[in-house]
Amino acid sequence: MTAVAPLFSDPYRQRFAAFMTNRREPDAVARLRHSAFERFTTLGLPTREQESWRLTDLNALQAIAFQRPAEAALDAGVLPTLETPTHRLAFVNGRFAPKLSRLHELPDQALVASLGQALLTHPERVEPYLERLPGLENHPFAALNTAFWEDGVLVDLPRGVVIDTPIHLVFYATGGDSAVHPRLLLVLEEGAQATVVVEYRGAGRYLNAPMTELQLDTGAVLHYHKIQEESPQAFHFGGIRVRQGRDSQAHLHLLSFGGQLARTDLQALLDGEGAHCNLSGLTLVRDTQFGAIHVRVEHAQPHGTSAQIFKSVLDDKAHTVFDGMIHVRQHAQKTDARQANRNLLLSKQAHANANPRLEILADDVKCGHGSSTGFLDPDAEFYLRARGIPVAQARALLVHAFANDSLNRIRLTSLRERLACVLADHLALDIMEKI
Amino acid sequence: MLEIHNLHVTVEGRDILKGIDLIIHPGETHAIMGPNGSGKSTLANVIAGREGYTVTEGSILFEGKNLLEMDPEIRACEGLFLAFQYPVEIPGVANLYFLKAAVNAVRKYRGEPPVDAMDFWELVNERMALVKMDESMLKRSVNEGFSGGEKKRNEVFQMAVLQPRFAVMDETDSGLDIDALKVVADGVNALRGPERGFLVITHYQRLLDYIVPDHVHVLVNGRIARSGGKDLALELEKQGYALYNEEPGRARRAA
Repeated sequence: MTAVAPLFSDPYRQRFAAFMTNRREPDAVARLRHSAFERFTTLGLPTREQESWRLTDLNALQAIAFQRPAEAALDAGVLPTLETPTHRLAFVNGRFAPKLSRLHELPDQALVASLGQALLTHPERVEPYLERLPGLENHPFAALNTAFWEDGVLVDLPRGVVIDTPIHLVFYATGGDSAVHPRLLLVLEEGAQATVVVEYRGAGRYLNAPMTELQLDTGAVLHYHKIQEESPQAFHFGGIRVRQGRDSQAHLHLLSFGGQLARTDLQALLDGEGAHCNLSGLTLVRDTQFGAIHVRVEHAQPHGTSAQIFKSVLDDKAHTVFDGMIHVRQHAQKTDARQANRNLLLSKQAHANANPRLEILADDVKCGHGSSTGFLDPDAEFYLRARGIPVAQARALLVHAFANDSLNRIRLTSLRERLACVLADHLALDIMEKI
Repeated sequence: MLEIHNLHVTVEGRDILKGIDLIIHPGETHAIMGPNGSGKSTLANVIAGREGYTVTEGSILFEGKNLLEMDPEIRACEGLFLAFQYPVEIPGVANLYFLKAAVNAVRKYRGEPPVDAMDFWELVNERMALVKMDESMLKRSVNEGFSGGEKKRNEVFQMAVLQPRFAVMDETDSGLDIDALKVVADGVNALRGPERGFLVITHYQRLLDYIVPDHVHVLVNGRIARSGGKDLALELEKQGYALYNEEPGRARRAA
């Protein structure tokens, strides 16, 4: 093991010591923080010698001495809404903001709360999950998160609880070179169902590294939306771990628009027969933005199905990475796993890396993957122009058609319509013309 | 309305059109026939403004204006229409939305406000009946998954909605069975009138049984080898292009 350069770890150690001073929380949690911090110092920040970090350039990040975020008050108008009743939890600089939050009545035993509150009121339902993020043990930002999380979310739905009202989780960072490490924990017990929208936003320069654990027991159904609209200077490192039981359904939408450097590591473990995992992603980047998605879908039990479609639209000198692995264990017969990656380049200087991978140890499976990267179809562009549509509008229409497919998969109408406007703005397309 | 003078066109440095002269007046329908590779589609594409074609000599005037200086969308807004030989599939763009965008682009060019939704819907319904198109095609993506016949009907439908002053039909008959051919021809005939001109490009005489032209030109190896009335098409059908002493397909192979 290479020793971590002292220059790298010392500021973190000081930050950690300050962070731990006067914390009021169970000893078990403090111990977890210490061990996670030690794990982080051993792991170090990733280097480009590590295969999965080869294309993620952390130089700009390492040049910044990130701080523990300051207290900040925020006007409610800054935060996004869904224009529909929601259970809403808002966080400013990683800390729960009760005044910006609103919970409606919940079914008996169901918990939707800030993680800090839940730790005080229901420690037995939180502590077992804090110890580690399975599958992300070697992810340095996961270790940092366990050491430094200040707050986050617990959604715990007992057996059979179905929550129709969307759960809206909003994280806002106010910059100032702060580092925020939200922790999200969603547990859907047998047959539980929920729709969750997580939004990340901010202003100025900061690091946001949220870690999310999604557990779906037998027959649970989760619709999960991650909307990353960080500020243009922000760094975003998200980790999501999905663990699925028998016949459960996870539908995840990852939409990534902001940040100078944004990366999501997603691990899905289909650990029960007949589990279904549906992943859809859309990344829009321009200028010198970098956006990366690293996905691993692991089929551990038979009859599982997974479908992935990840798209990106790149303009200017932007860069995206799609690194996707489907792993089918020997026991996971009758697996049906699909993966598609489509990248649309709007500029000759934009750059998309695609690395779709399959590892299949079972012998009776259907697996397929495909990746394509290309420019707009000149024939389609000419066809639109030959009907009188100006070239800029023709191009915008074609890009919209490519990207809108990802939005159309979102069932939550108010969210889908708002994102359609984000997309239209991005393309300077007048959506009001739409029929 | 369309005047082509001494038009020379190269594609990737090869001569395809070698001096075309053609004058079409309002109300006239002209047919251009010729063997494969004679330059028929090149002529259609140059008129519509597709990239990749270089005009080395000559001119095209449309209603007195220099067509070659205009971008493709400007040509369309000026009233020119190309029915594509191979209509393009555009996944994710609904036919109806596409059509409305096109109609409004032309209206904007003319300084008119966007089309009224009800008026547009009426026009669309009326024109749909003309080409016997099913309403479900409006919601589908442009040409995506359409059969060959549906694609060609969609071209005529678009033309019927956009009501151009001049239309070029580039092998609109290719790949059509006789029923589809009649539907397409009926659609074109319904639009014929004293103010509108047509240039119908075809390999086969068959289409001209249904769209009866005023003038027929035979294009061989980049030149108009002969012009005549509608009977010329029948003559060609009997005798083929061999009379013109040209090996067919030269231009295409050269291209």
